[in-house]
Amino acid sequence: MQNLASLRVPALDASFCRSPTRPGPFKAPALMTATTAAWLVLLCPIVGTMLIAVGYARWPGRAAGWLATLAIGLSFVFSVIALASLLGHSPDHRQLTSTLWNYDFSAGVDAKLQILVDPLSVFMILVVSGVSTLIHLYSVTYMNQDRGFSRYFSYLNYFVFSMLLLILAGNFLLLIVGWAFVGAASYLLISFWYRRTTATRAGIKAFVINVVGDVGLVIATFILFKHTGTVQFLGVFHAVPHTFAHNSTPIVLAGLLLLVGAFAKSAQVPLHTWLPDAMEGPTPVSALIHAATMVTAGVYLIARTHVIFEWAPTAADVGAIGGCLTLVVAATVAIVMTDIKRVIAYSTMSQIGYMIMGVSVGAYSAGLFHLMTHAFFKALLFMAAGSIIGAMAGDQSLDRMSGFRRALPFTFVCFLVGGLALSGLPPFSGWLSKDDIIAFLDHRGGFFLVLGIIGYAGALLTGIYTFRIIFRAFFGEPSPEARELEHGHLAHAEVPRNPMTGEEEDTDVGFPGPGHFIAEREWPMRIAMGALAVLALIGGLVQVPGIDDAVGKFLDPTFADSKFAHVQVKAGPAWLGLVVGAVIAVIGISLAYRIWIAQPGTSVRVRERFGAAYVFLSHKWYFDELIDFAIVRPALWSGRMVEAVLERSLISGLVTGGTSGAVRAGSAAVRRAQTGFLRYYAALMIVALSGVALYFLLSSS
Amino acid sequence: MNVLAATHHIVGPYIEWRAFSPLIVLVAGGLIVLLVGLLRPAAIREQIVPALTVLAFLVALAAEIWVYHHHPRGKAGFCLIAGPGCSSAPLAMDRLALELDMLFAVAGIAATLMSWRAVAPRESGHGEYSALLLFSVFGMSVFASSQNLITLFLGIELLSIPLYILCASETRREGSLESGLKYLVVGSVGSATLVYGLGLVYGATGSTDFATIGNALSQSKLAGGSLGSPMVFTGLGLIIVGFAFKASVAPFHQWTPDVYEGAPTPITAFMATATKAAALAAFLRFFDVAAIGAQNTWAPLLATIAAITIVVGNVGALGQSSLKRMLGYSGVAQAGYMLTGVIVGTRLGVQATVLYLMAYLAMNLAPFAVIVAEEHERPDGDYLSGLAGLGARRPWLAWPMTIGMLGLAGIPGTIGFIGKFQLISALVSGDYTWLAIVLVIGSMISLGYYLRVVATIWMRPPVALTAPVASAGAGPATGPGTGELAPIAGASPEADEWEEGPGAAGAGLAHPQLIFVAVAFAAATIFFGIFPAPLFHLASHAANALTGLL
Repeated sequence: MQNLASLRVPALDASFCRSPTRPGPFKAPALMTATTAAWLVLLCPIVGTMLIAVGYARWPGRAAGWLATLAIGLSFVFSVIALASLLGHSPDHRQLTSTLWNYDFSAGVDAKLQILVDPLSVFMILVVSGVSTLIHLYSVTYMNQDRGFSRYFSYLNYFVFSMLLLILAGNFLLLIVGWAFVGAASYLLISFWYRRTTATRAGIKAFVINVVGDVGLVIATFILFKHTGTVQFLGVFHAVPHTFAHNSTPIVLAGLLLLVGAFAKSAQVPLHTWLPDAMEGPTPVSALIHAATMVTAGVYLIARTHVIFEWAPTAADVGAIGGCLTLVVAATVAIVMTDIKRVIAYSTMSQIGYMIMGVSVGAYSAGLFHLMTHAFFKALLFMAAGSIIGAMAGDQSLDRMSGFRRALPFTFVCFLVGGLALSGLPPFSGWLSKDDIIAFLDHRGGFFLVLGIIGYAGALLTGIYTFRIIFRAFFGEPSPEARELEHGHLAHAEVPRNPMTGEEEDTDVGFPGPGHFIAEREWPMRIAMGALAVLALIGGLVQVPGIDDAVGKFLDPTFADSKFAHVQVKAGPAWLGLVVGAVIAVIGISLAYRIWIAQPGTSVRVRERFGAAYVFLSHKWYFDELIDFAIVRPALWSGRMVEAVLERSLISGLVTGGTSGAVRAGSAAVRRAQTGFLRYYAALMIVALSGVALYFLLSSS
Repeated sequence: MNVLAATHHIVGPYIEWRAFSPLIVLVAGGLIVLLVGLLRPAAIREQIVPALTVLAFLVALAAEIWVYHHHPRGKAGFCLIAGPGCSSAPLAMDRLALELDMLFAVAGIAATLMSWRAVAPRESGHGEYSALLLFSVFGMSVFASSQNLITLFLGIELLSIPLYILCASETRREGSLESGLKYLVVGSVGSATLVYGLGLVYGATGSTDFATIGNALSQSKLAGGSLGSPMVFTGLGLIIVGFAFKASVAPFHQWTPDVYEGAPTPITAFMATATKAAALAAFLRFFDVAAIGAQNTWAPLLATIAAITIVVGNVGALGQSSLKRMLGYSGVAQAGYMLTGVIVGTRLGVQATVLYLMAYLAMNLAPFAVIVAEEHERPDGDYLSGLAGLGARRPWLAWPMTIGMLGLAGIPGTIGFIGKFQLISALVSGDYTWLAIVLVIGSMISLGYYLRVVATIWMRPPVALTAPVASAGAGPATGPGTGELAPIAGASPEADEWEEGPGAAGAGLAHPQLIFVAVAFAAATIFFGIFPAPLFHLASHAANALTGLL
């Protein structure tokens, strides 16, 4: 039995899980403890959400947008404070937990409202809140004339809160809460234009696939709880090596189920089909949720639970292979897609494939480093794409874009920076981070070497599809819209249309607003994109082989118990890998140059020669059809069967109907007994009193 | 008592005045209010009297908090009139009593604020109305801190008699008079039953003191003595029935919907919260202290009664069209929930009951304040149909009502959830899992009427003022309202803004005191639903005051 007197709300101070505090090597400004800052990081966006939601009809002008931006900006400030405070501790004491409230009243579940502040979570909240601030800023303009402006920012703040909760959760329960919340936020934002059938359908698809992942995560948590008796991260990680035999079935199963969660959230094969459709959401949403932050949650999850994966190498290998498969599949599909946002979406999947592969094989700091740089350049690419889409009056087809280089010089530079970073050309950030992962794979050798080589193949494809966009959208003969823009006129569609289906739309609530905005003219968009461009350019310099290792050193305490913690790729092989990566990127880009600039028409010839392959790729490897055939149809069929056979007669008729009928009859009986006449009351009273007396007489005799 | 000492010189009882202060404040406040109410100027009667009443409650509250903090260390509580040792004093101001006293005072303040500018005090005299309220709270305090059969009975009469009058205080409304009369008759029967039962228990155990009765029952259980006698059993049975009347536990609940509907709404709110808390306190005091030794005999019976109560209350509330009636039935069901904590007879159970009493106060007063506010403005303010469109009309009332309903239904995020969780947890750990299941099923049924209110507030367009759909009698409500609701799916937050009627914005401030009560208790419902720790502390202190529990 739990003694409830022991329930308490501890103050917002840090309780150290390893040993009492000791001044660190260098003293941080003692503004507040890291955990207090982390709680405030969580508080800002949720307060923002609620303020915006409560006053959605009353916020004047763009106030909701600025409020949301301010909330996330404050969150970022507190993240920085948390970082500073954490750096004030010596590296051995950088895992802090703080419990706001203890819910453990039953069944031995140590359910706590608890956060874990360690280098990994602080790293993630910095990336998430930083990028989110910029994207909020961008959105203030991008969504300017949308009727759902306040709703949008309420959702967006809610998303950031959920994501931060996911990251800061100190136990599996809170992780599941955050995990499900981001799924819900993603659903709300994909279906943001809720009168667009394609958008609502995409939202449902994303939500359903994400729930598959949620189920995996929940069952994995259950398995871990069943064996270790706790749901706290640190408790579970501590117990795993003692509780499970190495690579035994339960721990492998837990690892695989965690992977189901990670794969669904991070859009890895075969749970990836929702991500391209998720591009139905507004472009800033694609940039924030479906590129920079939420989809990297799977990477975070694997890194967070690395103890489990190292104790279940089979599961880790499955993760690595899944990531590797995804990076190739997605990269091939990206080459044939014509919707600019979908190309970038496939690119996102491909890049997350690298990260998943990295953290699955133990390259934690490399994987997370790539997560960071990817957040910068991918958000940048989406924002730049949004700028072009604005100039195209909502049209997203690459077939219609061309020659925007002179019309959109700022966007062009930004896209080029993002594209070079994505392709992995020196000295851009993607070059350093991606090849960091591959170098680690090569270093582990054997089967991992194969994965590394496939990684290089993916890098080649990356260069091709990235510059396919750049060459097609920015070079060549200017399209009518681009020419208009060069003369200073922003194109507007005569009738707003759904870019996917061509259906006519209006600009009322539930559809995109009437305004189109391009980065060239709007300072908030320029600032956001400029900042990200700088980060995409130099963000990789924090970790250069042989020179500095800031990310690795900072994350080290989280991964101190890993057997890969001290596996260091020597500077020589690392640089060799970087050179190879750069060469491959150059080859990819020059191939793209040959196909789309030097010899226009090559693409058509290639398509004709390899018609079958083209069809295969443009159907995205038939994954949608496969899932439809293997899962959706049987599920629908069995659902109809059950509905017809069980539901109508048994459930509705007997169970529900019977129950509600009984309740209704009882209700009528009670009301009939309530005549309003005291004499009947007295009669019933005497009957009841006799019943009580009778009971006592019977029980005493 | 020592006979020798008594023959030498008469020793007056030792009264602990410090601990007595809250009770003195209440009585003195009542007298002052009564006198001030005699003054001629209307302004004094209508403004100063309620203000003084609130002040009296606040001073009593302050005194209670003061006593609470100057609690003697290691002792269960102050004994007001000390005999040899605390155990045989007739009244004890322990933490359970003090916390309940605070609860009564808060309910009293809320009732006074709700009665401000209401019909009832105008018709029955402001001074008298407020004084009766204060006296009733005094009676509840005596009831809740009684340690003796005599004080127990004194308490119940002190609290009941003012309430009989208060129920009938809208002297020109038939329903109010009917309500008062019904309450008087049924309440008298209840009191008579109770006093009969108390007498039998005294006869069987030879003492009026709870602790001594407890000892007698426990020892006789070992010796196989008086516990087996039909006298004790009959006594216990009659006491159960007597308490059940006050707590409106089925099948002794039938007065509740009628009286609740007819009484002036502030008084209904007061009865629904304070009286119920007092009755539950009596259950705790008597059954978990005096009769704990006989738990095996009474617990199954009380469990059955609680289960019946939960079912009857919840089922009865379905399809009521009067909100007060619905809340009456809901109160019956909630009394059943709280009774389960008594039945378990463990510290955990007592704690859960006390916690739920606090929760119940907050969750119930907010909706009642909303009903009072609506009654000021509409003839159908008490009717569910009158709430249609409240969300658009008066959000400051709509939200408290919604929160109150969600809290009563036990939705997570409200204190109602925490309270129910605690009760279920206590039941399961006390081997009453079946009762926990009944509680859960009852909660499921309760969604049927709580959510109907929420749906009416937010999803029905406002209707024009009409005459009340039924006369405010005690007749059975007609037919379950199964009208179709507006579809939820596809609703658009931006597109569906209802046109706000003229003056809708200003109407929110028409009755600031009511809005204050509603919002304050709704905020408490949410706040303690998220941070229940302070209430846990209070509840566990209260449970510790009852010694001899597991």
